[in-house]
Amino acid sequence: MVDQLPNLGREAEMLAIMGMSSIEDLFADVPDEVRMKGPLPLRDPQSEEEIIADARRLLGSNVALGERVSFLGAGLYRNYVPAAVFQLITRGEFLTSYTPYQPEVSQGMLQAMWEFQTLISELVGLPIANLSLYDGSTAAAEAITCCVRVHTRKATQKDTVYVSELTPPDRMSVVENYCQGAEIKIKLLRHNPDGTVNLSSAQDAAGSCGVYVEQPNPIGVLDGGLPLLKEILGEHTALIVAVQPISLGLVEAPGVYGADIVVGEGQPLGSPITGGGPIYGIFACSQPYLRLMPGRIVGRSIDVDGKEAFCLTLSTREQHIRRHRATSNICTNETLIALMGAMHMSLLGPEGLHDLAVRNMAACTLGKQKLSSIEGIHLPHASSHHFQEFVIELPGTASDCLAYLDSVGIVGGFDLHRWYADRPNWLLVSFTDQTHANQIELLAAHLELWAADQGVTA
Amino acid sequence: MSHLFDHHGAPGQGYAQPAPVLPASSIVLPDSLVRKSAPRWPRISEPEMVRHYTWLSKRNFGIDTGFYPLGSCTMKHNPRVNEVIAQLPGIADIHPHQPEHHLQGLLSIYHEMQHMLEIVAGMDQVTLQPVAGAQGEFTAVRCVQEYFRLRGEDQRTKVIVPDSAHGTNPASAAMCGFEIVEIPSRVDGRIDLDALRAVADETTAVMMITNPNTLGLFEADILEASAIVHGVGGQMYYDGANFNAIIGITSPGLMGFDAVHFNLHKTFSQPHGGGGPGSGPIGVKAHLADFLPGPIVKKRPIMGDEAKHAIDDMWFGWYEPTHSIGKVQQWHGNAGAIIRCWAYYRRYGNGLTTMSQHAVLNANYLRHVLHREAELAGVSDMIVDGAETDVAKHEFTISLGPAKEKHGISAMDVAKGLLDMGYMAPTVYFPLVVPECMMIEPTETESKETLDTFAKDFAIVLQVDAETLHAAPITTPVRRVDEVYAARNLCLRHPYDDD
Repeated sequence: MVDQLPNLGREAEMLAIMGMSSIEDLFADVPDEVRMKGPLPLRDPQSEEEIIADARRLLGSNVALGERVSFLGAGLYRNYVPAAVFQLITRGEFLTSYTPYQPEVSQGMLQAMWEFQTLISELVGLPIANLSLYDGSTAAAEAITCCVRVHTRKATQKDTVYVSELTPPDRMSVVENYCQGAEIKIKLLRHNPDGTVNLSSAQDAAGSCGVYVEQPNPIGVLDGGLPLLKEILGEHTALIVAVQPISLGLVEAPGVYGADIVVGEGQPLGSPITGGGPIYGIFACSQPYLRLMPGRIVGRSIDVDGKEAFCLTLSTREQHIRRHRATSNICTNETLIALMGAMHMSLLGPEGLHDLAVRNMAACTLGKQKLSSIEGIHLPHASSHHFQEFVIELPGTASDCLAYLDSVGIVGGFDLHRWYADRPNWLLVSFTDQTHANQIELLAAHLELWAADQGVTA
Repeated sequence: MSHLFDHHGAPGQGYAQPAPVLPASSIVLPDSLVRKSAPRWPRISEPEMVRHYTWLSKRNFGIDTGFYPLGSCTMKHNPRVNEVIAQLPGIADIHPHQPEHHLQGLLSIYHEMQHMLEIVAGMDQVTLQPVAGAQGEFTAVRCVQEYFRLRGEDQRTKVIVPDSAHGTNPASAAMCGFEIVEIPSRVDGRIDLDALRAVADETTAVMMITNPNTLGLFEADILEASAIVHGVGGQMYYDGANFNAIIGITSPGLMGFDAVHFNLHKTFSQPHGGGGPGSGPIGVKAHLADFLPGPIVKKRPIMGDEAKHAIDDMWFGWYEPTHSIGKVQQWHGNAGAIIRCWAYYRRYGNGLTTMSQHAVLNANYLRHVLHREAELAGVSDMIVDGAETDVAKHEFTISLGPAKEKHGISAMDVAKGLLDMGYMAPTVYFPLVVPECMMIEPTETESKETLDTFAKDFAIVLQVDAETLHAAPITTPVRRVDEVYAARNLCLRHPYDDD
């Protein structure tokens, strides 16, 4: 028995008012040849209590990272999100609203998103931010197609972009899918052995439509060379920088050193990992990209009484107006998750962001100290700076090591062999504000045990 | 007014944090990497922050606030237990890169959802990866594109869309690199088969159709349309925006479609959150299955020592299709949304047919009483049906064309009048083929009383004189917002005094 339908049992009454006698009359326009015969071969309806019991059983069989000691990051991070955020987003007025097509009754979400735009703009050092894309990978992909729209006319390398060779294959795959329709050529930007961008490779990218790099990069390295890139590239090549937003409590905002577009996985600000979604993608840019950028934007305006009011603006870029000439097909986005981000940013304030960044980086620094002193374990980028994760090279495969750590209740990190075919022994270990010193000790102790064991068998 | 950026508390106000595992002084960064000036974020304490966002929420209208008949968006009730489930650590606190044996519960739910969607859509394989309807469209059209490339049919460069289609259809196909061929609809908004025949040829890759269409009418000629497109070797794509009308009644598979996207957030009620998140899985017939983005979940009997992690002695594993187009989102789709939609599906089970019947019952009932109340109030000359039809499906259109012509009252005026009556306004000015269009979708979760009252209130609004309606709304947090001013005086962030 379904309990969500207020008019169940009242069908006859309502049909009679319409001069009909059967529900079937409502489907008289559906030709018999396409009618589904018989009931749906699906299970019977369940009550709320049965559903929640099944959910607890099924989801309870997943290993929640909080039950273990975890060093798994690689793009998504377990940062603490204050309780007020979860309480406030259950307000039905936020939760159950939709795209604010009627601004007069949507001022709350519109203002909250205008504030979100401001918070992101300040965070990354660029004047314009939209109110979210799906995730970091789609934000990267949309930034790349956007920079081609803006620059290809004046570019000497037309329809060409350079993407960091370290970009994880899954993210690169999204970029390729978004770029292939516009026939954008993707070339690789090289990195040095220490993980930093190869500046002579960057010189090759001058005259292209744009360059995509990450800070910290996918192997955790903070690249002190990025501030030199814009001058190398010149004004007609966009510098696109993807960030881990919390790192910007310590690390220079890319807008300050010439980034034209900043994107990133917003998740660490405001959202649990949630299996990888829903999360939100950050997209911010400078003035020249404004009219060709993707996604929804809120503007401050006035109402007929001259009172401050907010509404969606620059909609002529979007699919519902511009159709096949739109800057993107995006319609539904990740507003609610962006709202969680705004709430988290508000509570942190500038000092709170700094402290949060310090906690992440301090855990990483301690991790680096402890793991680098283990015999048989080598840090290939030891001389570089790291924000919250770094690579360790193991005396055996990362997959073997992870299996061992799993057997002792540790989620040990990310096997970089899944990204880089020639690196079977590279493990990416991540640290957040939720990482305790004793957990790092535990990881170090077990790595030491495992590494010693490799030595014996080798 | 409450302004976030008016809060300038003492430094460090807000959320107090534990000490770092090493003192801040142990952190060393070269000057080139160090942030020189902090973001000018507010300094706000938790009590003030909670009050700010609560104040904002009171200036926002959701389904929980009142009737939300926004056509095409399927604003149905969101069962609250789904929110409780989505916060369980077994979904909130899991990482997509965890090994399979950590995620058997999640994978089993993915598998159950794939299977359910395959049944209701009449498709052979579903992927849950796309995170929104528009992304589902893009993904499915990409799959078809690769399918044709592998067959050497590179000459198929065109995608046909009716002029009444959602804007995302042409936008998604154009993003794949296709040329868009728009065909006119008949006056009733239905497909013009002659227009379709005239453009369908060996350059056709895909035809994208919504059925029921964007006017809420069932395309009875759908099999003929499919035959025309298949006759020239093209593929049929089903836009699932209006899927809420047909579950258990018919299916895209029965109608001859090769690919379909679902708006899980609409049909299976992930709360729309002021614009998102959503979830846009796609389903395809067998010949397209190898091209889907992975991973897809497959199940098999357990082997070896898998029993200790397994659910009901089955093993659920990720699977990459052979000719996969790759990924459209970096992770495994909007897992949190899929969990909520799973809980929603469990609530209905095989009763999903009843859900769709009630969606259609409510829409037709509202259409009937709306005209009846307009008649009783003597204002029936102000509205006409957007399209001639005996029955609508889950939504219907009316045209305020006569009101505009006779009294200077536009669809927008009536929409704003409805806001003053405490309702969210229906979708206005879409589809474009209906002049002064209002698209009304009540959904199945509204009671007869709500529909009766709305119909009466709608008739009251139609009796209001033009001058008063032009001034509406007057009871809302702000009155009519000047969108032209917003575009001409762009203010996209808080203007700081020191800017």
